[in-house]
Amino acid sequence: MKKSYWVFATIALALLVDRAGGWLLGKITKESQFRYSRLYNGNEEADVLFMGNSRGLSFFQPYAEEITGLRTANLSYNGMPIELASLLTQDYLDRHKAPKVLMLDLSLMDSVRMDNKLAYQFNHYTPFSGRLSNLLKEKFTNDYYAGKLSHLYRHNSEVFQRCFFYWKKSDKDWLLDRVISPEMVANVGNHAPIRFHYDHKMLGHLANMVKYAQQKGTKVELVVNPYYPDFVPKIVNLDTLVMDVQRTAGVTVRRYTNAVQATEAFGDYQHVNKVGAKFYIDRLVADGVIQAKPN
Amino acid sequence: MIFNSLTFWAFIALFVPIYFALKGNPRLWLSLIASYVFYGWWDWRFLTLISLSTFIDYYLGAFIRDASLLRKQNTWTHVFGYGVLMAMLCLVMNFLSANFYASLPYLDYWWFPTIGLWLAFLVMFLTDKVSNQNNRGYRMMVVSMVLNLGFLGFFKYFNFFSDSFANLMNQFGVSASWNTLNIILPVGISFYTFQSMSYTIDVYRKHLEPELNYLKFATFVAFWPQLVAGPIVRAADFLPQFQKDHDFHWDRIITGTGRVLWGFFKKCVVADSLAPFVDQTFAEPNAFTSINLLIGVFFYAFQIYCDFSGYSDIAIGFARILGFDFMENFKKPYFSQNFSEFWSRWHISLSSWLRDYLYIPLGGNRHGNLATYKNNMLTMLLGGLWHGANWTFVFWGLLHGMYLIGQRLLGKPFGTLMNGLRFPGFLKLSINIALTFFFTCLAWIFFRASSFSKASDVISGIAGFEGFSFVNVMNKFMVMKGFLLIGILLAVEISDIKMNWNGIAYRNPSFRIAAYATLLLLIVFFGTFGSGAFIYFQF
Repeated sequence: MKKSYWVFATIALALLVDRAGGWLLGKITKESQFRYSRLYNGNEEADVLFMGNSRGLSFFQPYAEEITGLRTANLSYNGMPIELASLLTQDYLDRHKAPKVLMLDLSLMDSVRMDNKLAYQFNHYTPFSGRLSNLLKEKFTNDYYAGKLSHLYRHNSEVFQRCFFYWKKSDKDWLLDRVISPEMVANVGNHAPIRFHYDHKMLGHLANMVKYAQQKGTKVELVVNPYYPDFVPKIVNLDTLVMDVQRTAGVTVRRYTNAVQATEAFGDYQHVNKVGAKFYIDRLVADGVIQAKPN
Repeated sequence: MIFNSLTFWAFIALFVPIYFALKGNPRLWLSLIASYVFYGWWDWRFLTLISLSTFIDYYLGAFIRDASLLRKQNTWTHVFGYGVLMAMLCLVMNFLSANFYASLPYLDYWWFPTIGLWLAFLVMFLTDKVSNQNNRGYRMMVVSMVLNLGFLGFFKYFNFFSDSFANLMNQFGVSASWNTLNIILPVGISFYTFQSMSYTIDVYRKHLEPELNYLKFATFVAFWPQLVAGPIVRAADFLPQFQKDHDFHWDRIITGTGRVLWGFFKKCVVADSLAPFVDQTFAEPNAFTSINLLIGVFFYAFQIYCDFSGYSDIAIGFARILGFDFMENFKKPYFSQNFSEFWSRWHISLSSWLRDYLYIPLGGNRHGNLATYKNNMLTMLLGGLWHGANWTFVFWGLLHGMYLIGQRLLGKPFGTLMNGLRFPGFLKLSINIALTFFFTCLAWIFFRASSFSKASDVISGIAGFEGFSFVNVMNKFMVMKGFLLIGILLAVEISDIKMNWNGIAYRNPSFRIAAYATLLLLIVFFGTFGSGAFIYFQF
């Protein structure tokens, strides 16, 4: 027993530091200026709520706010799965006054390009959301219970790292500022065709999300954000996706696939950069999708 | 079963207490069964292969030294019995997985272990009959080499060489195309084959007495900690350790646990955190700018080091807990000042195996410069091929062969130049380390890339310097985390040169408690879990 005390001491020390560290990181999670922390704090009142995957960041908030005078919130994240998008949107609507508009980029309706494991990266938000807890318990059982056992483990994710990075500063102005490379421009013709892979379950999550927002009095705008113009013909089943979504969600989809034309407005085939985002926001405002606040 | 899985921890929780509760043969049986469970968890059907390899080397080992050792035990009856057992096992296997070998055309592949066994049996029998006391040992050793390398060649290199041959014929306008066999590469086959071969060679060289206890020998071949990814333990070092029972010892628990934790830190925290960025850049190099490709290569150098040396640390740690001592496999290789030093620090169990069983028998450096260069090159080429059935691995070996030859040719003039420049010692050391690391990374590109064209895309992408700016770095969070973790790793390794952290952890309980708890928390907080196997499993 005498020789084994260090084993128990090591475990005890690890548990102690784990709890203390977990408490500290939980505090950071709560206070952070990261979008999901603001969501769960109820500090993200907005007139327009954006949602999408990495392409959803094309809804460039600083510029949208500047030219419309509206408050915006953007819950987009790289590889956002529709199920998580629906959950986060519902959590947002439960904690805030209903925004006037919810804008959703449809490119998250793709099971191949979405990050199926993204939800478990939101483990550190489970203390704030019953929906999130249930989702993790159901789909990432080991991670959920590991997060209960170790509070540090709950914070072991890139989403938390971002939360930490944006502890004291806003994350609203993040968007690609690179320009698509000449090689990519030259090779676009050689790119393999891409397809949206989706199923009834995904359409169901989208429909639930739309219905929930509409019940709260929020107008829902479904859009397809811009692609690099020569890349658009590579998308083989966009029409089918749009039709299926319109039929299931009962909302007309606005297609902005070709809304931005200039090469220097893109970071790559699927993402506009800051320049492109401004073009795009101008177009949304011009079309009345986002209505500027009257002076 | 992989170390970074929950199943493995359940295995450990069950195995270790029972292991220490047993003594003698029951403990050996437990170790053997546990090792087969550990290996079979990946694909139980290949247990026939490892048991076949064990069987062949057990009998050949004894025959090499003195056939009468086994004749007294009615060996051929054993052999026959074993053959029947293997045939029955294969039949059962075939019933249990009807389609397993169905992909092989023209041959009932599921009979392979049985055919292999009976062929081995026949070859051994005939060799025994046609040999006399003077040449039997040599002939049996050759049979062992042929059979072991035959299995390795069939499972690992058959498609590679048949494709390469077909391509070569096509170059000469001769149409040579056939269906390649859908062969599954058995995990760890290169490791246990080399380990097994070291036994027969050492017995032949009289460095080791043949092991006549089949249970001990089978446990030696299949011992789970090092079975699938090394270190490649030598029979002469490892078999004698089975001669006595190892008691539970706190000193071993202390040092073994530290080693295991450090191994998990390297694998789960460093290697697996770097892997996603590396995978992206090497999958589609053309889609990445120069800075990203450079980071990708830099990260890969640390990914493969931490992945492989992490496995070795875990294996060495668990073996130490169980009472066994394995040879060191890595000694801070990226601090090497030249390539011969690099190879005395990197994958030491393989490089020393190649040195002792290939380079030195070829003549080593004893027959002049040209012969030395040839031996260096041949050893490195075969070392490259050992890693995988792809010309990129061979090229990686070729590069290292060239580095070693280049070092012999240019080492002295370079040293004179450095002395002439009167740099301070620390700067000279840094330049040497940086140069060695640079060329090592260059070779890693070929090791990691799936083809020469991808490797050339990576190199030309980096050399083009297009988009060489921090703005263009993709996945900045992943990259920042990667550099932070590499920083922690290097800080520990550099300070360890002076401090010897293991020694302090052993002597000072307070430090040990703090250090082990810190490692545990770092693994929990930064670790990537469920990301899959170790890189060297594929070899």
